[in-house]
Amino acid sequence: MKFKKVMASVLAVAMAASMMTFTVSAEETETVSLTVWGAEEDQTLLQELCDNFAAAYADYAVFDISIGVESESTAKDTVLTDVEAAADVYSFASDQLTSLVNAGALANLEDYAEVLEAYAGKTLDDVKSANSEGSVEAASIDGSLYGFPRAGDNGYFLYYDSTKLSEEDVATWDSLLAAADAAGGKVGMTLASGWYNASFFYGAGFTTDLNDDGTTAIDWNGTSESGYTGVQVVQSMLEIAGNSAFMAIADGDISNQIASGDLVAVVSGTWDASAAAEVFGDGYAATKLPTYTIGDEQVQQGSVAGFKFTGVNGMSENIGWAVLLAEYLTNEDAQTQFFAQRESGPTNLNVAASEEVSANIAQAALAEQSAYGVVQMVGDKFWDPTATLGENIAQGTLSVDDEDGIQEALDTMVEGVTAAVE
Amino acid sequence: MKKQKGEKKGNIFTDFGTAVVKGDWAVKLTLLWMGAGYAKRKQYGRAIVMTLLEIGVIVFTLRFALQYVPKFNTLGTVVMEKVFNMQTMKSEMNDYDNSFLILLFSLFSFVIWFVAAAVWIANVGYVYKLQLKAERGEKLNTFKQDIHSLVEENFHITLLSLPTLGVVVFTMIPIILLVLVSFTNYDQQHMPPNSLFTWVGLDNYLSLIGGGGLTVTFSYAFVRVLGWTLVWAFFATFTNYFGGILLAMFLNSKWTKWPKFWRTLFVITIAVPQFVSLLLVRNFFSNGGIVNTICANIGLTGFLRDIGMISTSYIPFLSAPGWAHVMIILINIWIGVPYQMLIATGVLTNLPADQLESARVDGATPAQIFRKITMPYLFFVTGPTLITDFVKNINNFNVIYLLTEGVYTTTNQLMANSQAKEVDLLVTWLFRLTQDYYNYKMSSTIGVVVFIICAVFTLLAFNKVTGGAGKESDYA
Amino acid sequence: MRKRNIKYFTHNLVLAILAFIWLIPIVWLVCTSFSDYDGMNTSTFFPKKWSIRHYIQLFHPDTVQQFPAWFRNTFIIAVFTTIISTLFVLMVAYAMSFIRFRARSFMMNMSVILSLFPGVLAMIAVYFTLKTFGLTNSYIGLILVYSASSGMGYLICKGFFDTVPRALCEAAKIDGCSQAGIFWKIVIPLSKPIIVYTVISSFLVPWMDFVYAKMIMNAGISENYTVAIGLYKMLDKSLINSYFTVFCAGGVLVSIPISILFMIMQKCYVEGMTGAVKG
Repeated sequence: MKFKKVMASVLAVAMAASMMTFTVSAEETETVSLTVWGAEEDQTLLQELCDNFAAAYADYAVFDISIGVESESTAKDTVLTDVEAAADVYSFASDQLTSLVNAGALANLEDYAEVLEAYAGKTLDDVKSANSEGSVEAASIDGSLYGFPRAGDNGYFLYYDSTKLSEEDVATWDSLLAAADAAGGKVGMTLASGWYNASFFYGAGFTTDLNDDGTTAIDWNGTSESGYTGVQVVQSMLEIAGNSAFMAIADGDISNQIASGDLVAVVSGTWDASAAAEVFGDGYAATKLPTYTIGDEQVQQGSVAGFKFTGVNGMSENIGWAVLLAEYLTNEDAQTQFFAQRESGPTNLNVAASEEVSANIAQAALAEQSAYGVVQMVGDKFWDPTATLGENIAQGTLSVDDEDGIQEALDTMVEGVTAAVE
Repeated sequence: MKKQKGEKKGNIFTDFGTAVVKGDWAVKLTLLWMGAGYAKRKQYGRAIVMTLLEIGVIVFTLRFALQYVPKFNTLGTVVMEKVFNMQTMKSEMNDYDNSFLILLFSLFSFVIWFVAAAVWIANVGYVYKLQLKAERGEKLNTFKQDIHSLVEENFHITLLSLPTLGVVVFTMIPIILLVLVSFTNYDQQHMPPNSLFTWVGLDNYLSLIGGGGLTVTFSYAFVRVLGWTLVWAFFATFTNYFGGILLAMFLNSKWTKWPKFWRTLFVITIAVPQFVSLLLVRNFFSNGGIVNTICANIGLTGFLRDIGMISTSYIPFLSAPGWAHVMIILINIWIGVPYQMLIATGVLTNLPADQLESARVDGATPAQIFRKITMPYLFFVTGPTLITDFVKNINNFNVIYLLTEGVYTTTNQLMANSQAKEVDLLVTWLFRLTQDYYNYKMSSTIGVVVFIICAVFTLLAFNKVTGGAGKESDYA
Repeated sequence: MRKRNIKYFTHNLVLAILAFIWLIPIVWLVCTSFSDYDGMNTSTFFPKKWSIRHYIQLFHPDTVQQFPAWFRNTFIIAVFTTIISTLFVLMVAYAMSFIRFRARSFMMNMSVILSLFPGVLAMIAVYFTLKTFGLTNSYIGLILVYSASSGMGYLICKGFFDTVPRALCEAAKIDGCSQAGIFWKIVIPLSKPIIVYTVISSFLVPWMDFVYAKMIMNAGISENYTVAIGLYKMLDKSLINSYFTVFCAGGVLVSIPISILFMIMQKCYVEGMTGAVKG
């Protein structure tokens, strides 16, 4: 090191006459290395944005930004295995927030507010007010922001083929299934996932919540605020699942099933927009989820309002710059580009209000459904028990008439969901 | 069996005792300075090597081990704290403890100290032997001769040191480490570097067998997963074993035209990497997969639905208990039988030809020959591999993981509460516990139990097959 | 004569049927890889439209698939793994088979005991060991993981060595040959089949493993993946619909060289077994 420094100064002196300015600037700027993780499909765009970031802050430092692949849906698994080895800036789905915060894998952005003020010229409140209220709420724990909202399209709604189904048909599950049967097609939805099947419970007024110790509070085995019982909801789901026009699709298999052409309607999200558009062709349409029947009443099916956040690793070495980069990757310009290139639904209010976004069929349906969307606050123990409930409904292991059996299944599920985190 | 000469030489500790008591001043000094005895006998090469070794261990102890070992009993007490520094744009952290690294590095230190102690003890004994030799007036080895002995009588040291080092660092230490973890509370609530974990004694073992007051029913899932693990290991081992032998005999039969061609066809299936072939098969048999489409088209799905075997609009090949269990065993036959066939083919070509001939002359039927000669011979040669295969199948991670992970959802609400599935083996269950739930304490506990099961089984089975201990088996 | 022919015919027919069943998924793999469609075709067995497009795509890397780079990485790792593993296996097998020393039976028992532990459990500890030495996300780390413990797989090789006639070694010893000399000049040349078997089986390890590789190559740099992780990741929920056929094509391309090696290996394995059994 010493030798290098001596050499450098000797060289500097020797070249001072001709290259004064060059040596000065080379001495002053330090090199900051940062790593970023994003989904495979976003790599090109991320590269572009990171280059812009480096150019925008070139006065302060030289940036060496490397970009790795880690899908938002699996970020938690990789990050928690070794937080220190994880990227400085990474994107993740909103349901992973608590686990990541508990493991110290996300920096509390409130601690770095002054960096934003000093360099990006905006306060954390500016960021919060620029994005939709729901997204900020979902990205916060106890009022502290832990991730910058980037996309609000992590929710689901109904795609359908408007040449085979009318707008009235898709209003209720009963008419939807009847019409699909008549058209010789099927209606697909994933039941074996707490992310999808919660929609029926949320619609009937049931809730989930996250306690401070990371456990989940859930009331699905009781009676909801709206006066429905969990058993009634399961019975309605069993009626739907038992219909021959209904197809229970395994989690992750939806795009395959859309592509196979057997479906005339499917519950999915914006990530399947192109697959649906291709298969339904001119009939490509999307709308909010239908209502379903409990007793003789129609209940609007709810949904999960999921988001994608970009957060900063709590163990990041150059954490100040990482916060700036994360903000840069999620600001209004970035979200505009994410929508333009990746059809990613924005959380930024200005971008969301733009003409392009409102004209997009899938985004419009998502916005329509968002009125019934719930920010899903659950812990890790939520997923397996609820998936099993959904699988039991899909396979018909529970029977509609067996109210005691359903109640027992719900009780066991609630016990598993509320278990202590270990 | 060959005689093992020179394996009983006298106890290393009694040697040490005698050396300390009867040795001269140089031997006694060797207790402190490992090179002393050699220096006195003018074996400077050895003296330097031993001194360097000793310095190495001391430096290691002072510079590295003492940072971690003193914290071994608590696994650390200082929790990480961070303060952001606006000037450097970096977070400044306190000198926090990382429980996992304390555990890992303490273990490394223990191993190194253990080896150093063994060398130290052996060294004193050796130096005493040198003293005796010198007193008898025998010529001592020069350093050159010492080096040369590494390709002669000490050749095994040359051969074994690197492979042993590899096994110790990459297999033994990790395994001991995880045995230790099973006595801690290392889980998602206690994950380094952000928080600490500590010793909890036998708590994890208690919750595995039903105590411990956990609301989630680990013991419920454990019994069921263990049951399926054993059923699976039994069927996977025996279907493949007999399937392989039958196929090999079928191929070896004089009726077979182009046996090499047929054999090659079967071998192709195992030559495709498992992650390709199994992931493919899993999509092949998925709920909306090609097989289901075909079954629906030919009316099989409807038929099964009518007779009440399925209640879904598809055949749940890999997604319902029962169906999935059978399918997994069948698919395992698909990838396992060709392999066993290869082994059996090799063994069958060695059948004692004279016995076969004389049996044939005596007018024995093919069935009798098979029962009286072929099977006993096969069993004699490959019997021990049955045991190792059984153990391998208990730990057969690939087949189950690739076929069911992400596509199989359990329908048993109680198992779901412990993140287990009906089709899980103990290993896939513990893998999921580490990968998705960071429940290292429970997965280590399960791992230790798997080891105990395998060890007990192996001991019992080997005694049965080899007819008692005391005989060195080539398969052991 | 007629009866004979019928038996002859049915025998081979049964074989043909069995082989057919065994090959269905493989045929599906090959057919699908030549499909023009990106996702998984679930309605017909054969593709509706044939194309070699996806094979061409494999050689034009994009942000998701970097097949040529993966192939190169795996190849490099496999070569070094092979060298180290083969040496280790031969060394251990020789020591255990030819030399009687104090710790011999202890070490043999130890290797049995260690092999009873589920390997996936040790993964996290191996990972942190490598991280301590700064070897995660590096070829060296993966090579070490695949080869460092290979000495424990000495049994088949030892079985073969046990059949090498001891008289040969004794004669060499009388001629003044050292133990090392016997190892290099007599035993190794006699053990060609078992060496080929060891070489190929250790060469195959990096092509098959996806668990360790995924954990150690955790920086998310697609270019550094091995073939196994690269292909495995293509079946991710968000990618399967556009990369399933590419996955199949990649699977076929990897399987071809491996199949050839496997054919050679099985020949040597049978020869090795034959030798081992005779002793």
